[in-house]
Amino acid sequence: MTRTITRRTSRLAAAGAVTLVGALLLAGCGRTDSPTGGGEGGGDAIDDSPATGTVEVWAMGNEGEVLDELAAQFEEENPDVTIEVTAVPWESAHDRIATAIAGGETPDISMLGTTWVGEFAATGAFEPTPDGLVDESSFFEGSWDTAVVDEVAYGVPWYVDTRVLYYRTDLAEKAGLEPPTTWEEYTAFTKGLQEAGAEWGVSLPPGGFDSWQYVTPLAWQQGGDILNEDGTEFTFDTPEWEEAFAFYTSFFEDGISEPRRLEGGEIESAFINGEVGAFYSGPFHVGLLLEQGGEDFADKFGVAMVPGADSRTSFTGGGNLAVFEDTENRDASWKFVRWLSEPETQLAWYDISTDLPSVQAAWDDPTFAEDPYLSVFGEQLQDSKAPPAIATWAQVSAVIDQELEKATRGDTTPADAIAAIQQQATSIGTGK
Amino acid sequence: MTALASPAAPPRRPAPRVRSSRRERRMTRTAWLFAAPFVILFLVFMAGPIVGSFLMSFTDMTTRDLQTPFQVNIVGFDNYVRLFQDPRFLRSLLNTFTFVVVAVPLTIGLALAVALALDKGIRRFRTVYRVGYYAPVVTSIVAIAIVWRFILQPDGLLNGFLAVFGIQGPDWLQSPSWALPSLIMMAVWRNIGTIMVIFLAALQGVPREHHEAAMVDGANAWQRFWNITIPAMRPAILFSTVITGIGFLQFFEEPYVMTQGGPLDATLSTAMYTYDQFGFGNYAYASAASYVLFLAIVVLSLIQFRLISRKD
Repeated sequence: MTRTITRRTSRLAAAGAVTLVGALLLAGCGRTDSPTGGGEGGGDAIDDSPATGTVEVWAMGNEGEVLDELAAQFEEENPDVTIEVTAVPWESAHDRIATAIAGGETPDISMLGTTWVGEFAATGAFEPTPDGLVDESSFFEGSWDTAVVDEVAYGVPWYVDTRVLYYRTDLAEKAGLEPPTTWEEYTAFTKGLQEAGAEWGVSLPPGGFDSWQYVTPLAWQQGGDILNEDGTEFTFDTPEWEEAFAFYTSFFEDGISEPRRLEGGEIESAFINGEVGAFYSGPFHVGLLLEQGGEDFADKFGVAMVPGADSRTSFTGGGNLAVFEDTENRDASWKFVRWLSEPETQLAWYDISTDLPSVQAAWDDPTFAEDPYLSVFGEQLQDSKAPPAIATWAQVSAVIDQELEKATRGDTTPADAIAAIQQQATSIGTGK
Repeated sequence: MTALASPAAPPRRPAPRVRSSRRERRMTRTAWLFAAPFVILFLVFMAGPIVGSFLMSFTDMTTRDLQTPFQVNIVGFDNYVRLFQDPRFLRSLLNTFTFVVVAVPLTIGLALAVALALDKGIRRFRTVYRVGYYAPVVTSIVAIAIVWRFILQPDGLLNGFLAVFGIQGPDWLQSPSWALPSLIMMAVWRNIGTIMVIFLAALQGVPREHHEAAMVDGANAWQRFWNITIPAMRPAILFSTVITGIGFLQFFEEPYVMTQGGPLDATLSTAMYTYDQFGFGNYAYASAASYVLFLAIVVLSLIQFRLISRKD
């Protein structure tokens, strides 16, 4: 009996497999080139009547925890609407959105990491931003670009994040130096911090996850870029990139930067105890340093725009909001998104979450304009850039991380590193 | 001695004769009915995805196909060919292989030593030791990662200890040559507990009479260990080697929490590589990588069965 059963099972399994292969072969005669949904421009315009119905929103990390508070204000203004916020941990957010798209179980709105837009937009799961919903020019340019894929905007930037230079004012004073504006000054400045007592002039990651965010601005500052004008080919094998790599690795060769990656948590204590003279980070570090450094540490550090070459471009990231193609409450979803990108809402949101507004008008408020730290971020945002919204960016950027690590460790030269990046990036492609 | 060591196999029951009477057929149906809940769950949640991902490995599926999974192109063995042309994948295979070859014997050897010590040597606080050695198994990897970071930091516990002897220890986790050994150390420490428990149970199953008989024959402690204890534990050792081997081939958690595969891919395991590729949305390519790993697991298990369970 056992034998008959096994034989039958294996026959069943074989039949199943054959059917599946057949289905795949039949259905899989190549893909259609255009993504399923979307198309050019947004759908119908969104009117100004109050929103109604239920809107499901996914938000990550801290935003997911406190968005309810803000949503309550929207519900007050629009009594017939219910906003349901689901908090999603950052670590699993990317996979969860991918799974939701695959299963057709997407929420109405989701918050997105700025570098995910290209990848998910390629699935056709997002609805293009309706014409006239928001004024494109009211956002920071670098930030708006994160929502645009092939000249179609998907959703809007919600909050922004940019890198500035944190430095020890007491050490700079001792060395008699002003915060740097050019590359030459930057090298001299960090060396000066070392002479004034810091063990390491500036902390830079020698490689590893997301270290591309530190080297790419150096290429941008000289007019280099990741893709060519029409966005079809990578441009890593250019003098700008080689120079960027050479400059970045010089900090390790000259012993200004420690060839060790400081993990979150280590950097604050190293900066507070004076081991590290300067580092790059986003706005959240102001609060962390004031909290951990104690009262008098506020006088010992400052923030400054990043030093530059032709420009002083920094990296920008943040969070976007996108509406899914198969939303059941399209109008209310976009109305909520529109409301979230109004300057007043963004100010209220800063109070709740400390996320920086993506809308420039909000920065005129004294909260930002008069704050010694935040005003620097506002200024930096005028000159900050995001990587292109291409589907393969995560993979391409990982290649930059790997080659940068080889270069800073002296295993390869800047010229070989960029050649390797160009070759691998080309074979990965832009995902079109 | 050998005759004593291998217990006689139970007599095989004669195979039931296959005869299809109506009654038997009804019984078969009933049996299937009882088995149905499992079979259905297995087919839908286990076999389905397994077969599905196998087929997927012959396509060019990526994130863009999420909504239209059947619109992919069939690319045959392209993904497999590309895998073996990728130096990072080859590096990950080498890392995984090194890890298995070093860590499995180390785990089995140390676990056996600990089990023997707890079985014979240590009389006091035996429970304390047992709990101590087993604790890492049930501790969350995240907590373990934090503690091991403290140990392996440049100015951490381990280097502090080495400094007592005047040795300047390396930056374990960020040195391309020491990162993998550090993770091996950690994985061995984490896995000793499970194997130790299995060995303790097996040791208690070694018949006392055999030892007594051997003592009468004048065998010393070493001879008794080698010729009685070890052969009697052979099934346990085989089992442990296979599960540790399979577990270590899928070596993922340690690099994931400690090094993310770095520095310079020194701790990039095949599972980690696959995970990265899934993260990039290269579903088909990642499936191919996991089937290569699957094949490696099958081969390793076969070799181990051959080596350890040879009949004498």
